[in-house]
Amino acid sequence: MPQFFSNKKLILLLVSIIFLVALISFSLRDRQNANLPEQFIKDTVGFAQSLVAKPANYITGIFNNINSLLNTYEENKRLKMRLEDFAVLQAEVNTLQSENESLKELVKKESSLKDFNPLKATVIARNPDQWEEKIILNKGSSHGVKLNMAVMTAKGLIGKISLVTPFTSEVELLQTNNPNFRVSAIVQGKKKDIFGLLEGYDAERNELILKRIDSSLDVNVGEQVVSSGLGGIFPKGILIGEVTEVTTDDFGLTKMAYIKPAADFSMLEDVIIAKRNANEVDGSDGNGTNADLTNEVEESTGEGEE
Amino acid sequence: MIRFLIPFVAVVLFLLEPEFALFSPIQWGEEILYLVPRFVILYLIFISIYYSRKRACLYGLFFGLLYDVFYIDIIGLYSFLYPLVCFVAGSSIRFIHQHLSVTTILSIFLVGLMEIVLYYFFSFINLTTIPLASFLSNRLLPTIIANLLFLSMLGWAFKYLINARVLQHTRDAS
Repeated sequence: MPQFFSNKKLILLLVSIIFLVALISFSLRDRQNANLPEQFIKDTVGFAQSLVAKPANYITGIFNNINSLLNTYEENKRLKMRLEDFAVLQAEVNTLQSENESLKELVKKESSLKDFNPLKATVIARNPDQWEEKIILNKGSSHGVKLNMAVMTAKGLIGKISLVTPFTSEVELLQTNNPNFRVSAIVQGKKKDIFGLLEGYDAERNELILKRIDSSLDVNVGEQVVSSGLGGIFPKGILIGEVTEVTTDDFGLTKMAYIKPAADFSMLEDVIIAKRNANEVDGSDGNGTNADLTNEVEESTGEGEE
Repeated sequence: MIRFLIPFVAVVLFLLEPEFALFSPIQWGEEILYLVPRFVILYLIFISIYYSRKRACLYGLFFGLLYDVFYIDIIGLYSFLYPLVCFVAGSSIRFIHQHLSVTTILSIFLVGLMEIVLYYFFSFINLTTIPLASFLSNRLLPTIIANLLFLSMLGWAFKYLINARVLQHTRDAS
């Protein structure tokens, strides 16, 4: 025994291993909030990171521009074909929009789940070891970002805010394995909308899984899936993806569908954080506590109207 | 001047890692390949082999801690692995020839080993569910190739920089 204890290095190693295991279990337990030193480090590194991100984004922008320049001819041909359809569609949308507005006035409906305040943010980093799909944005709680807000690109939903510090925020992407990550969604069927919950991700197919669809309803391949807004925090109508396959789930009681995401998850640069105007409830899009967040929201919508 | 250049390069590499991670995942035909940039640890292994094991371990602890706090929120994972890898690399000098190509291969080997340890850790805490075979083909292999490419381009520069520092160190001592 005395010989064992004289070996200083071994003791040091053992003590540090015990210390690290304690630290790991501590930080695994509470991953929703960052404590003060963590926030300080995150903001400092985030600031340095945003300095580096600007020229890097500029350079990748140049590459993208060259790439799109090479495809111009093909794209032009394709777009010209679609232009004629577009004019017809535009006229239709205009009439529908005006009709919608007049109908809304008729029933005196002011707020809709669809309305949200967009907050633009830039991606300053992506988790370099891509075990957890996570990106870091340059907007934080001082800009009005809150936990569980929806994050999207121009193409569709990509994830939700999982951690906020004063000047940065982390986004958990849709491809996560976290079982608590649910998004309330609807499949836009031909006759009526079909409700389901987006939970889980199939890593091999690279597709999202929509579960808990009523088995009496028909979901067809190719139909579009959007957020429903009924989960409590997300606005309604953000495009998520397209149905590629429909099966029954493990227990055979409900259906589940595989969804090919609409957004492109590589090369994320500019994203939009959606802050919805309607009252929020901490339902399936949040932590599932069903706590009413109404009072907080009234303050911030008041600011938005100014 | 060179005294500050060594940590400065490490900081720059640390900040560049996530920018390169933005390119990943890439689609290669049917397969989706993940490239994980491991620039900092490669650089630290070089420091450990050519300069000083102790200093490399300290840098490893510092950057590992930053990495843990900023990116993965599990404190103690990289801040343990980085110094450990540096320690192993530094201890191996007695057994290997200090040629650039040998060092490159050793560094890549250690990074691959670290990747595997990380895979087991993350599947242990259920953050990932991908099977071992697809981890090896879609993650480990592309990562090793990408980092090998990086090191074969910049390895000589690391060696040159560190050697300049060592020379200055001995000059100061004498």
